[in-house]
Amino acid sequence: MSSEPPTITLSIDGRTVNVPKGTTIYNAARRLEIEIPIFCYHDRMPPLGACRMCLVQVERAPKLQTSCTLEAAEGMVVRTATPEVIAGQEAILEYLLINHPLDCPICDKGGECPLQDQTYRWGPGRSRYTEVKRDFAKPVSLGPVLMLDRERCILCWRCVRFGEIVAGDDALKGFERGFESSINTPFTLPVASKFIGNTIAICPVGALTSRSYRFLSRPWDNRSAASVCTLCGVGCAVWLDARGEHLTRLRPREERAVNDVWLCDLGYFGHGYVHHEDRLRQPLIRRDGRLQPATWDAALDLVASRLRSAGPRVGLLAGARLTNEDAYVAGRFFRTTVGTPHLDHRADARSGSISLDVAWGMRTPIAAIDRSDVILLAGCDVTEEYPVLWLRIKQAVDQGAAVVALTPKALEVDRHLAHHLVHRYGEGAAVVRALIDALDGRARDGDRGGVAHGRLMLAAKTLGAARRPLVLVGTLALDAPDGRDLYRMLGTLCERWQVEPSVMRGRGNAFGAALAGLLPDRGPGGRPLPEVTDALASTWGAPLAPGAGRTSPEMIDAAARGELEVLYVVGADPATDVPDARAWQAARSRVPFVVVQGAFLTATAAAADVVLPTLVLPERDGTVSNIEGRVQRLRPIVAGPGDARGDAVIFSALAGRLGKTIAYSSWEEIHDEMRTMIPDLAIDAVLPLAAPRPSDNAPAGDLSSAAPGDGSLLLIPGSALFDQGSMSARSEAIAGLAGAPWALLHPEDAGRLGVGEGDTLVLTSTHGSIALRAVVRPALLPGQVFVPRGFDAAPVNALVDATGPASRVRVELLAAVAGAAGGTGSGA
Amino acid sequence: MPEPFLLKYVKEPDQAEYEAYVARGGYEGLRNALAMPPDQVTDAVDRSGLRGRGGAGFPTGRKWKFLPKDPAVTKYLVVNADEGEPGTFKDRTLIEGDPHRLIEGIVIGSYAIAARHAFIYLRREFHTARVILERAIAQAYAHGVLGEHVLGSGYALDVVVATGAGAYIAGEETALLESLEGRRAMPRLKPPFYPAVKGLYMEPTALNNVETLCHVAWILARGAEWYKAQGSPILISVSGHVRAPGVYEVPLGTTIRSVITLAGGVTEGRTFKACFPGGSSSAILSAAYLDTPMDYDLVKLDVYGSMLGSAALIVMDDSTCMVEIVARTVEFYRDESCGKCTPCREGTVWLGQVYDRILHGRGEAADIELLRGIARGMTGTCFCPLGESVPPAITSSLRFFAHEYEHHITTGACDVGVHPAG
Repeated sequence: MSSEPPTITLSIDGRTVNVPKGTTIYNAARRLEIEIPIFCYHDRMPPLGACRMCLVQVERAPKLQTSCTLEAAEGMVVRTATPEVIAGQEAILEYLLINHPLDCPICDKGGECPLQDQTYRWGPGRSRYTEVKRDFAKPVSLGPVLMLDRERCILCWRCVRFGEIVAGDDALKGFERGFESSINTPFTLPVASKFIGNTIAICPVGALTSRSYRFLSRPWDNRSAASVCTLCGVGCAVWLDARGEHLTRLRPREERAVNDVWLCDLGYFGHGYVHHEDRLRQPLIRRDGRLQPATWDAALDLVASRLRSAGPRVGLLAGARLTNEDAYVAGRFFRTTVGTPHLDHRADARSGSISLDVAWGMRTPIAAIDRSDVILLAGCDVTEEYPVLWLRIKQAVDQGAAVVALTPKALEVDRHLAHHLVHRYGEGAAVVRALIDALDGRARDGDRGGVAHGRLMLAAKTLGAARRPLVLVGTLALDAPDGRDLYRMLGTLCERWQVEPSVMRGRGNAFGAALAGLLPDRGPGGRPLPEVTDALASTWGAPLAPGAGRTSPEMIDAAARGELEVLYVVGADPATDVPDARAWQAARSRVPFVVVQGAFLTATAAAADVVLPTLVLPERDGTVSNIEGRVQRLRPIVAGPGDARGDAVIFSALAGRLGKTIAYSSWEEIHDEMRTMIPDLAIDAVLPLAAPRPSDNAPAGDLSSAAPGDGSLLLIPGSALFDQGSMSARSEAIAGLAGAPWALLHPEDAGRLGVGEGDTLVLTSTHGSIALRAVVRPALLPGQVFVPRGFDAAPVNALVDATGPASRVRVELLAAVAGAAGGTGSGA
Repeated sequence: MPEPFLLKYVKEPDQAEYEAYVARGGYEGLRNALAMPPDQVTDAVDRSGLRGRGGAGFPTGRKWKFLPKDPAVTKYLVVNADEGEPGTFKDRTLIEGDPHRLIEGIVIGSYAIAARHAFIYLRREFHTARVILERAIAQAYAHGVLGEHVLGSGYALDVVVATGAGAYIAGEETALLESLEGRRAMPRLKPPFYPAVKGLYMEPTALNNVETLCHVAWILARGAEWYKAQGSPILISVSGHVRAPGVYEVPLGTTIRSVITLAGGVTEGRTFKACFPGGSSSAILSAAYLDTPMDYDLVKLDVYGSMLGSAALIVMDDSTCMVEIVARTVEFYRDESCGKCTPCREGTVWLGQVYDRILHGRGEAADIELLRGIARGMTGTCFCPLGESVPPAITSSLRFFAHEYEHHITTGACDVGVHPAG
């Protein structure tokens, strides 16, 4: 390791360059800023050598060489612009264009098209082709987000290889051969990928285009802002493009430490909500039982009057949609001006769950994922929750890492996993205990949690050989009936490895909310409140509300007992987000006054007393934090609709009405003040929150594995990347990808229940019932049903009884899918 | 001329039977090989001077020596039986006529490189060959030639027969490996994927042609010195306008004229006009080259693209329209291009369109230069030899038979009368 990698000296166009061994001529030329045209080569994938555009002449080589595939060798003499090279490149471009429609004036790619640009620069200028061009039906829809134009395609294979190499989903493939070759989806429509937007981005022509961007703008008419996507928690760097005041698209912005050059499809296509007509444009006040438009003055006066005397009888349920700075101001306003210690951003956490005891986020930088040799995904449905992290894990797999998944629902990336232990929900702890026993040489016979003994032993062998392990604990573990026990067992495993488990929980800017101190027991920087109370009081010029703060579930319980006067909800939708909808309904019906600050009339807002319209992230300035704790700059590209205002501005206005001054001239001023509390705070600083040891006093969830024998199924609430929440349902592309709310059943249960793929089901628990579309796959063990959260029309929390360890549901067929005989189990 | 041995038994009706094969001295080469250390087997093949008969002519012993000796490394032997070069049918003749010879060669080669598994990638259309070969393999297993203990030794070998889906490109060795692994047959990038280094399933792999391995069986049976004394025999597939088309075994270096004579001479009443000496991928040679020896030095001829290739001599007499011949050749490559690289995929289509125009009386004077230009653009720019195989037929036909193009273009008809005007 001590020796420098050997270097190669070569000459390109008469200039000498030193490059590490293994560098291609193309990349060596780039070091000299000599541009060589390429189509098929993409620097995140190995060279292919298919387009033949990057030809160069190498001394003593009998023919032209492709510079993207040729490794530099000592003393090599390369020329990039000899008559032979020029003739070769002109020939290639002429070939590429003979069957290209040259419809640049109506092509979305026009203006940012490598084929167009390179034809201008390296092309022959005119074509000798006088025949009839190849004719394909076009454009072809490949699903809700992707359109394919095979006439424009130059068959560079980038999109195919992206699916093979980067995403591992083989979403697009080549069909037929020779000049009949074309790209299409293998067997499935819509195209099956969570990353297909990237193929649009890397397509060197307009063959793959985005349905949501088609004909919306020309590249030169777009303004761009460097910002961050906040739809999951990865915090991918993006360019926000807008034409006039209309956000037209998102593009990945290169950030090697986070998303590299990629995005997921939620990021690419999930911004439709920004300009949706349902955006709240003015404050609403409940009068005569109905929410009615009001002026800001009237709304703020009313809210201030209810907050004035309520003090500690106010609870703040904040969500993940605030910037770091807004969250900090919220903390200041509620802790000082309002005078309450009850602040929490974790509205979706379950009462008594381990999720409330541990700090959320990764303890390992995203960029270090691919340095792991064993990755344990414990209840972490990574492609559904943090999709871009999968691309890192895939890289690790390609470098030889073994991924061991321990989940109650099979992961979509199954075929890339070394071991996939699909267990019964609520029995994950028993599986981990068995793995630890095996590592200790105390292997006992027998299956655990539905996982066969032999599979456990094989997985244990892999875990036992780990040298650089990474443990990602997700919501399917944390929120499981045995989540506390499971986390403790994983902790034991991590101790053995001397690593910290990463808590893969929290969407949007949940991590910034924690950093800013929107937690009942923590101040800015995640420091225990008692440690920072004096400093905060001094900075803020006002005392902080004393006493222990309540967590979100505790606030909701307190509200239901009549102990709170005001619930103030910011950027959250507890009516659909809390694990148990009935708990929220009880709270809402008892608490006298509910304020909702948000962008849409969510279920929570619809039942509120006052609704205040706020901005969404493409309209905001400031910083956000991602799951690894990286602080990144958010920049606005468009103004908010109507009278919508920023959150900090609203808090300042309320403070004024309450006789206090909370005034900042800009987000930077807030940020600077935060830095006095969090010395390391800076753009691009990584500030992971320390993981406190969970207290062991709460009872471990104990789930009797014996089914009651009434044919009911164990409910597994989980996540889906594409859902229909307040924002995603209003992004046409995402709503299309999500489809109708669904439930996943094992074919065995489906057969018993007479249910087939696509049938409409009714799921009923002791708490309520919802209708869902049946998805039948052996992706979970029998006796269970998986239902994703995030579908506002069929909220799974209507079924959950959070007072017990787990919920059971009855499943009944409501209507068979049209065109299929009901009950034949067509999906099985 | 030495007595042929490669073809000696192919016409025997029972040669595909194990007993008959053994009765005629079969599997002696394998017994000899198993009595030697593997290195000596390779040395014997090396000493024999045998060069690969698939088309590239690479020395077989040297090819095997490229494979790593480390016993911990998995190695494979893959037989390229995807005989698809137009005009070539010698491998099919060997498989159908003497299948145990191939099996013997496979076992010897696998033993030499220490492969535990060998794969025969058989051309999809060779149905008869497949039936015969699979039967012979079953017999070989039954008699302990294949399996856990080859002829009672400690050496174990399994042989698998696989077929593609009917693509010419799968005959290119790296495309063959892609197809064998279950993917679209597209050639791999070389380097780094030289089969001897990273071949089947990215493990070191020896890829040999059917005929080559049959030679190996004879070399081990009779010795390298005996083999050399036979004058390096080669099988030539003779087709086209000869009286007795077929496979002929001749010493390397026999002239084109002699081979045609062996095949009964040019069709009755006709005279020789041109030939492809090495399949449709080679340049077309005119009568002036009839005395050229058919050997690896054909590449040194003053005709671009001339080569021995797969030793498929396609003979054309004076009734042949050269424009049509080249047009059909171009169409073949157009239909068989895998689509991976630009010049092959697009260039062949364009060439086909231009030839089509010329043959249909819609040619223009500028088309000759256009054909040259398209061919020039494909020369040296393609990913694999498939695309590079197109220009030789065009440039050589334009060199020797330019007047036929001109006649087509100016009169709309063929000067040999194949394409009357109208």
